[in-house]
Amino acid sequence: MTSSYPWWWLLLPLLLLPIWWHRQKRQRLDAQFLATARFLPAAAPQQLRVWQWRDRLLLLVRCLLLVVLIAWLAVTVLPWRGDTVLVDAGADQAWAARQIADAGMAGARRIDLPPDALAWLRHNQRDWRAGARLLIVAREGQIGMPARAPQFGHAVELRVQAAPNVPPAPATSPVSHRVALSAAPERVQAWRALFAAFDQAGDGAQRYAIAGAPVASTELIVWDTPALAPPADWRAPHWWLGAGSEKAWPELSKATTITINGVTLRYADSPRGRLWTSAAFPPQDAETARALYEAWRLLAVAPAPAYPAPSHKFAMASAAADAKPAYWIAWLLLALFLLERSLTHVRRS
Amino acid sequence: MPAATNAAMAATRDLELVIRHVLAGLGHGIHAGRERGAGVEFSEYRAYAPGDEWRRVDWKLLARADRYFVREAERDSHVATWLWLDATASMAEPSRELKGVDKLWFARTALACVAAIAQRQGDAFGLAICSGGKVAFTPADRGPLHLQRVLARLAGAQPDGLPPTAQALKSSLHFTRAPSLVFAATDGLDWHGQSGPSPLSEALLRLRKLHHDVRLLTVRTRAEVDADFPSGAAYRDPEQETGLHRFTKADRVAYLERSAAHFGAIATSCRQHDIVHHEACIEQPLADVLRRWLQKAGAR
Repeated sequence: MTSSYPWWWLLLPLLLLPIWWHRQKRQRLDAQFLATARFLPAAAPQQLRVWQWRDRLLLLVRCLLLVVLIAWLAVTVLPWRGDTVLVDAGADQAWAARQIADAGMAGARRIDLPPDALAWLRHNQRDWRAGARLLIVAREGQIGMPARAPQFGHAVELRVQAAPNVPPAPATSPVSHRVALSAAPERVQAWRALFAAFDQAGDGAQRYAIAGAPVASTELIVWDTPALAPPADWRAPHWWLGAGSEKAWPELSKATTITINGVTLRYADSPRGRLWTSAAFPPQDAETARALYEAWRLLAVAPAPAYPAPSHKFAMASAAADAKPAYWIAWLLLALFLLERSLTHVRRS
Repeated sequence: MPAATNAAMAATRDLELVIRHVLAGLGHGIHAGRERGAGVEFSEYRAYAPGDEWRRVDWKLLARADRYFVREAERDSHVATWLWLDATASMAEPSRELKGVDKLWFARTALACVAAIAQRQGDAFGLAICSGGKVAFTPADRGPLHLQRVLARLAGAQPDGLPPTAQALKSSLHFTRAPSLVFAATDGLDWHGQSGPSPLSEALLRLRKLHHDVRLLTVRTRAEVDADFPSGAAYRDPEQETGLHRFTKADRVAYLERSAAHFGAIATSCRQHDIVHHEACIEQPLADVLRRWLQKAGAR
């Protein structure tokens, strides 16, 4: 459920209110007439609660009114978003700022890129006012290309940062992963042992080449010296940061926590790549190393869509809007309201 | 006459039949044959109306004119009889022993009998019904047709509302100029107002001070006298909008004391003002009650 509007249906228990009001009836305990009651001591009036339905027609109308009101709220959307830029947090900030300025959206509101951005947009496009423009700034591979061009009710522009061109490794030879390792001397051994174990794991088709500094094709940088900041030009899709790196990496303050295979990992996107940190870095025993291997392999299964979408401008498709305001519901609501008021008035008079 | 006759009489709608029954039970103890309407001084003839006594029909005139005429006599006295019926809401109190008998029925029937007696004696009689805060007046008159009218008014009286206000009573006491007999039937519950005497009792006392012969009949049910109500139930005063009252066995003594004090005060007040006062239970035979009420006046 990507849209929040169906949550309005959670208000359905409000129907209990009119039902409660119409079921409750207080009735004074039946008192007999007695001419000489004045000679008797006064008594406090006793209330006897008799449960029965009152004004069933009015109750029906009120319940209907509530249901229709909730339905109207659930299907009717008041567009409130204006020009918006959806920014991939992992994209190069300088490049993203250039793209935004180039598109003339410098003053637009920025929100983080949600996963599966195009589908999300399509679901939530009712939020945007007519005439609002949308710009998506993302790295290549963050947005999958849909099979059919999506139809948006607004002008949506997609700008994709081209990824560095990495020649794919031959499929027959073991897949080689380049890892840059920078760790305190007492931990280097543990990290090397870990990647040596990774080499042996599975069917041995994965090789991890450890180097002291990253190159363009480096996939992972292990930075286990929390006291030092890494050189500014180091970039990689993934970073493993030792525990206690929050000071040097402010992005980690907004990190998301996931627990896979018993290993708790926290990750956040930064312009240098996705940052991972865990208390288990580096694993101290074989069991933790095996759990980390499993977790990492699970995480690496779907890092990117099969067909990444290129930069593209989606023209406004007027017929695309499937969120026509439900006018007939509004009219029904009005009619029910008038009926309810009339019945209440008749009951009072 | 057994008390159950009251229930039998209450079941019939024909007030005249009831009157005939009651008066037959009274025998000759009441009016002593002083029929002023058939006095010696001839005044005029008038057409016969159903209910006129046959002995007052002028047979010679019948032979001459082939019509019934009744001799009206010049009356020596102009004493009118006034029937005063309390028909407030509290008079609706039914008997808990006799089905269909309530205080209003008893008071109304007693007054109807008095009216019939007055008619037989040739007295003029009028009716005042206190109900719903007002007084409904029927001017005093004579004759069987007037009796029919008065009986219809009595039969149509419904227990409703509060006793009349002082203002309403004051404007209604215009008959006080001529000396009259006032037969008042009430349950006496409105004798005392919120502070001091109620307008109803004040009016009767004022009539007495104006030398009218006031005769008061207070009717109660046996249950009211003996505090014989189901306990545990809530009770409401029919003449008060709000307020509930309870009755438990523990409240019985207090009830009896307050009730006795109330009706004792009525009796004292009547004695002080020389008002004939008779207390009756509506379960008592009506003829007995009527006889004692009327005899009390004769004994004075």
